[in-house]
Amino acid sequence: MENIRVMIVDDSTFSIAVLKRMLQKDGLEIVATAVNMSEAIQKAQEIKPDLITMDMTLPDGDGIECSQAILKHLKDTKIIAISAMMDEEIIQRAKKVGIKAYLQKPVDQTDLDSAIERLFEGEELYGVLKNNFEEAFKESIFSFLKREIGGEVVIEKVADHAMTTISSGVSVAIGIIGRHDGRLIMDMSEATALGMTRKILQDEGQQIEDAINFLSEFTNIIGGNACSLLNGLNRSFGLRVSPPTVFRGKDITISIGDIMSESFVIKTDLGDVFMNVGFQKGEVAWM
Amino acid sequence: MDVAIINSFIASVTDVMPQLGFSSINIKNQLEKSKKIVASGIVLTLGIVGDKKGNVAYAIDTEGAKQIASIMMMGMPVEELDDMAKSAISELSNMLTANASINLSNESINVDISPPTMLTGENIELSMSKDQVMCVEFDIDGIMLEINVALD
Repeated sequence: MENIRVMIVDDSTFSIAVLKRMLQKDGLEIVATAVNMSEAIQKAQEIKPDLITMDMTLPDGDGIECSQAILKHLKDTKIIAISAMMDEEIIQRAKKVGIKAYLQKPVDQTDLDSAIERLFEGEELYGVLKNNFEEAFKESIFSFLKREIGGEVVIEKVADHAMTTISSGVSVAIGIIGRHDGRLIMDMSEATALGMTRKILQDEGQQIEDAINFLSEFTNIIGGNACSLLNGLNRSFGLRVSPPTVFRGKDITISIGDIMSESFVIKTDLGDVFMNVGFQKGEVAWM
Repeated sequence: MDVAIINSFIASVTDVMPQLGFSSINIKNQLEKSKKIVASGIVLTLGIVGDKKGNVAYAIDTEGAKQIASIMMMGMPVEELDDMAKSAISELSNMLTANASINLSNESINVDISPPTMLTGENIELSMSKDQVMCVEFDIDGIMLEINVALD
């Protein structure tokens, strides 16, 4: 938990001193302290801390209002409420304005540590995912095609993909669910799907229905293998793939621009395969 | 068990749509379909994993999707299904599925959902993950919304 910049908001200088010691123990950098709402709002805007510990009772307002005002401008800042008061109603109000966790005073060091860890672990994990998912999916599809289809397999990344892509004939979508969720889309022409099915099964009699089954299993394997690779990097990803849905038709447009994703064209002897894979940052669960 | 599943999705539609500003929500038809489904307009599919595994596909015709997007965007006129309108529809599928998953958790069925995949086109042939697909057709203020659930 290094490089996390914290601001402590509390009307009691004693509480500030206690929290300061606890947070410093964790290696966090205390960048500001504030004893009332107006000071907190002003300092938060200036300093943009990563984390704020927020007392619920302040001389010029309450911690809920104060958090709401701060979060309006600082979307990425995480707030942990720390207060002597804790009941179901105030927890609900805290959740509603976007406070991420609620701890009761006197705060236990272990509780504080685990709250901070869980809040920031997600960020770090998302970074790891962002840096590694491309390779994982490329490796997964490359080794499958090389092994099952053979011949030349070349993966080209689509530099700037548009918001939508036109299906070549058959598309498969698989949902990816875990600490951060995502989606895998595979698309190819019916001829390519049929060609691959016939080659793998060594049976020229295979029909389009069989090709749909093949494509659905193909996507499942690529997604499953890639997610296993990523889970191997960090178990906390907990990525699982949902069963595939196959789409077939003429002039189908697929929307791919809604989440952070990358597109690839995989050139094989039997035709091109289009692959789009992306993830979105999972919401930090309430603690 | 199947009844609990489909009812969770039905309850989600009847709970969520009024919150968005729709007034009359009626079930037009409820049936079991085979694996293959044909839809035109917009199709959104979301993956589901957990105690039950599968997917859900929502189908709305283009005109209906425009009307829904317009109501979701505070009555802003929607002439064509642009990125903004698509994003609204995508969000709707997310809300409906998330809500259904909360309803399922009340039945002690815990599931997680994936982000939606959106397709547009005519006569889109969908093959879902299960042979028996539960399908409910809704009439929502004159807009037809079809929900196909394949979970087991």
